[in-house]
Amino acid sequence: MKKTGKDKERPDAPHHAYYSGQEEFFKAALEAASRRFAPDGVSLYEYDEKTSLMSLRLRMLRGSVFEHEENFMPEADSAALKALKNLQPVSFKGPAGYFAAIPFRLDHSGASPRNFPAVSAGFIRLERYSRKAPFSRRECAAAMSYIGGFLRNYYKAEFSSLNEKYSRNIEAITELTEVFAGSLRVRDSFKRILAGIQSYFGFDRVRLYLIDEKNKKLKGELSADIRGQVKSIGYEEIPLEAGSHRFADIVLGRDSGAFMERYKDCVLYLPLAVQGSNIGLLIVDNLLSQQRIAQEDLVLLKSFAGQIGMAVDNVRLFDKVEELSLYDELTRLPLRRYFNQRFQEEFYRAERFKQPLALVWGDIDYFKEVNDTYGHQTGDLALKEVGRVILSNLRKIDFPCRYGGDEVIIMLPQATGEEAMKFAQRLLEELSEVRIPVPFSKTRELKISMSFGVSTFPQDASSQEKLLEKADSALYWVKSHFRGRAALYAGTVAEESKGPRQAGAAAAEKAPRADAFAPGAPNKNAGFGEKYNVND
Amino acid sequence: MLIWLLADPDSSKHLAFREMLEEFCAHFPEARAEFAVKTRRSLWESVFSHLRDSKRNPLADVIEIPHNWTALFAKLGLLYDFSRISDDFNPLACPGFVAREYASGEGGSVFSAPWWMEGPALFYDQRAVKAWGGPPADKNLSWEEFVSALEKLSSGKGFRGRGRSGGRASIAASRSSGSYPLCFSSPAGSIGLDNVLPRVWSRGGGLFSQDLNRASFNKDETMSGVRDMLGLAVNGYARLFSPSRFEGAGCLDEHSAFIFSPRDLCSGKDAKGGTLEMLPFPGCGQLFPVNISSLAIFSGTSSLRQGVSLLKWLLKPERSVSLSAAFSVFPCNKTAFEERLEGSRQEALYRRIFAGADLKPNVTVYPTAEILFERILWNMSLAIARGDYSVEGLTREMIIAQGEADYLLSLY
Repeated sequence: MKKTGKDKERPDAPHHAYYSGQEEFFKAALEAASRRFAPDGVSLYEYDEKTSLMSLRLRMLRGSVFEHEENFMPEADSAALKALKNLQPVSFKGPAGYFAAIPFRLDHSGASPRNFPAVSAGFIRLERYSRKAPFSRRECAAAMSYIGGFLRNYYKAEFSSLNEKYSRNIEAITELTEVFAGSLRVRDSFKRILAGIQSYFGFDRVRLYLIDEKNKKLKGELSADIRGQVKSIGYEEIPLEAGSHRFADIVLGRDSGAFMERYKDCVLYLPLAVQGSNIGLLIVDNLLSQQRIAQEDLVLLKSFAGQIGMAVDNVRLFDKVEELSLYDELTRLPLRRYFNQRFQEEFYRAERFKQPLALVWGDIDYFKEVNDTYGHQTGDLALKEVGRVILSNLRKIDFPCRYGGDEVIIMLPQATGEEAMKFAQRLLEELSEVRIPVPFSKTRELKISMSFGVSTFPQDASSQEKLLEKADSALYWVKSHFRGRAALYAGTVAEESKGPRQAGAAAAEKAPRADAFAPGAPNKNAGFGEKYNVND
Repeated sequence: MLIWLLADPDSSKHLAFREMLEEFCAHFPEARAEFAVKTRRSLWESVFSHLRDSKRNPLADVIEIPHNWTALFAKLGLLYDFSRISDDFNPLACPGFVAREYASGEGGSVFSAPWWMEGPALFYDQRAVKAWGGPPADKNLSWEEFVSALEKLSSGKGFRGRGRSGGRASIAASRSSGSYPLCFSSPAGSIGLDNVLPRVWSRGGGLFSQDLNRASFNKDETMSGVRDMLGLAVNGYARLFSPSRFEGAGCLDEHSAFIFSPRDLCSGKDAKGGTLEMLPFPGCGQLFPVNISSLAIFSGTSSLRQGVSLLKWLLKPERSVSLSAAFSVFPCNKTAFEERLEGSRQEALYRRIFAGADLKPNVTVYPTAEILFERILWNMSLAIARGDYSVEGLTREMIIAQGEADYLLSLY
């Protein structure tokens, strides 16, 4: 609410004042009336024709303007209604003193949002408590003329705030379009979309749910609060069945239309559709503050619904493409190319921070025979199970990959050789429980085993290539001696570890109902000049 | 430094505060302070506008808030933790029930300082005693006795206020000859939460269950408490949205025999020539609702030192006494509270009320639940004034609001 410099010199020149908001404008009106007519008090009343309520909004006493909340229903013959009806000032007397009601009527049609009244009416009341003299007709006329002149500036104030609002809208449209168009990388993108919506609209909360077609669920993705804090709501899963939950009904089109306003205009459900089919649901709410979502925000958000849907869908498609290019579809493990990139980063980190890094290289024992005997479909099932077992045993920082064929490598940052061997042992144990169904075989199921070779940085190698090489050597050593085991590369002395127990093979023998491709005896001639520690 | 003060029906509060602020600025010449008065609604909106766009909507450095908004605003990161900077806000300097409430912050945090408080009570005009037989000797008026007294008064045989008829009189008003034996001192014109809560609590209801795990808007005890209170207007004992205030009659209709008010109308500037007497809220038993107003410092203030100095200044016993006397409330400082009690003509009754003080829960969702409840009461008050109030309408609104409040509980 900045007054011009010129206006400061002429405080009683209302036609030169500019205000950016209604509240400031009315405060200034009371101050001006107070300066001009020196009453004991000045009050602003607004009248709501729909409820017939007169409401005191602002009061000026002894030089200060206070907000007020006071409502009453005027009598039909009251001075207040008389002044409003005739739009003429009225002087009257009350138990506490003398008053003059100076009425006004402001038309904001065109500037008001659709759900707000286009016209507001009320009056400014001049109050005289100390001097026991009523406001004369002349005083009332002067007040009407002066206040009327001041209130004509209201349109300038309205225009100013409207102008500001439109500028903000254009700014928002530009910014949000950029955000939505530029959203591609999955996690950050959803975050950016929600943060973009929050930064402009500022709802108490925005939540994003996406349809999981495969599992027939509506899954929570992210939630952003009024402070802009974004958190995962991945724990929220709603069955995508009619009647199971309100959100599901909305997405399935079983509720009352595409856009729904509930809870007295505090919540908006925005189904996200792309090419006619729903992909998710965006929910915005002002439930905590209980403030109605402004009509113009609703309109703008609805117009963005298509773009948001497209952005979300783009992100999902990108995610899908990325998954296809970086992950093996069968085992769900990352592919070699992706692994090499991460291995480089982790190796660099290990070198720089002098942290250990272990590699576990494994392959499925007798995988070729499995394929030849039972067919590639059974081989694929075996690979799938291997992927599942590996993925379910990883820490967050571990990174596995399908290196090629039946070979897998698992990178274990910050893990020592001992820890990597424990990990490998855990895999061996879980794999020993795996049964692949083979309906046409006698035992109807197949048991699989794997062999693992482990190498560690910095003990075994000082470069990535060497570390891979040592893990491969350790694996080769296991394969040529036992199978179904893990061995840790541990130096350069050619000595076979003593008394290794063939845990994997033994387990296979104990499972007579399953076919098992396990060797009868280890290949004792397979040592090749290096030392290995074999687990049991 | 900007201070936001909560609006009050009694402008004396703001004028007294302005004087105090001027004194403060004279005492601390480097301090630059101004204040603005905001209604609860406007303050609430300003706070959320700030959260939405802090650059366009800055928050004041010091704000006055109802004590039970503290938990929510603290959770939203808006309030400064006094315990980090000063021992001057030790809640132990307050009466026991206030100290207990304020000392319960997590990890000893103190996000607001108790400033003043009020205890809703019923006031009656001694001239009306003859017409209804007067209160029982132990000054414990049951709800039924109270309603019976109103009935006697409105039957027109005894004390009568200045008659009013015509205009937008309610169904009830047309039932009687237009006089209203009861008035609510609330300037909102409607029956609000603060009017209803004492009756709801005495019925065993509330906005939430005791463990605060479920909303209880629709609970029988809550509903019957609300119905009792709205019934006073429905049955023509009180007029809602009365225009008497507009005509300069102040907050009280002097012609009503009974007045519900949280202010001490028997003492100080509001004393009506000794014609008013006081009773605890009818049917309250041993527990009485007490409202506390607090001062808090905005966590993002750039005038922290000045804000802290101002709070220390305002909370000194002598200033607490003087400010609270200006608009007939009670200070939260223990020494000042005792002094103010001793100065009240109703010392014994106020001691009883504050000894059984029951405060609104200071939990995150409570302020929003209050808004939901207030909205229902506002709609019902308008319906009563229009003459189309129905219990079914009230029940429907309560059921919807109950669902909303439960949903809120699950979210926050």
